[in-house]
Amino acid sequence: MYEQQFRELVEKYSEQLYWHVRSIVGSHEDADDILQEVFVKVWKALPGFRGDASVQTWLWRIATNEALSFLRKQRVRAALRFASLDAEAERVIDDDPWFDGDEAQRKLAVAVAKLPDKQRAVFCMRYFEELPYEEISGITGTSVGALKASYHQAAEKIKASVELAD
Amino acid sequence: MSKKIEYKVPDGYFENLRTRLSAIPAQEKQLTRFQKFAPYLALAACFAAAVLAGNLILSRTAMPSASEDEIIEYLIDSDITLAQIEDYLILNQ
Repeated sequence: MYEQQFRELVEKYSEQLYWHVRSIVGSHEDADDILQEVFVKVWKALPGFRGDASVQTWLWRIATNEALSFLRKQRVRAALRFASLDAEAERVIDDDPWFDGDEAQRKLAVAVAKLPDKQRAVFCMRYFEELPYEEISGITGTSVGALKASYHQAAEKIKASVELAD
Repeated sequence: MSKKIEYKVPDGYFENLRTRLSAIPAQEKQLTRFQKFAPYLALAACFAAAVLAGNLILSRTAMPSASEDEIIEYLIDSDITLAQIEDYLILNQ
């Protein structure tokens, strides 16, 4: 019954959702794994979707939560191995064969990867995807004021991190 | 500085991705059908568990172990902070 609807969601949103997840986690392989999990969850939740939020907000919420859950696990894994979080952020970018940016973009990607998880997701949605704060608010459940403050802090941290790396 | 990071993907990736994702309903339905046999599987599992329990009692020297993923899930569920994990690891190094 929901298969046609699901296929339409895949056709319409899978590529955009891939870039959404990729901008948050950095690595292609990780984004690919996460996206599979995202759409399994979408399939399971589709019968219960009542349209309180727009389909796009609903999908982005599932994908963002899945990406954040992945980042939490990655950080705990790094802590258990005594790996520094900064070194881990650089490793993710440097080990990804599907990163094609120049040195300036590498510094930006690493600086983004060093942000706290939620701040990173907010920054990516605002800066790379250029989503309005109201939409990010619907996705994250955070007030617009708090999102603006979080974005401002993230931008300051990134600026400092890039300048330090120069 | 460019606003976009130049990430790339393998050739034909999105076409392949759409094919894989579109197969999810069929895969999940197969899983659901499998779940119909769950009561019989549970019975078989009980039998196997009884055998295993007997085996365990006989070999009490074995230490329980968990995979890294299980440990990570446990730590996340317990709301422990990274700082607490690091403190524990340093203390027990």
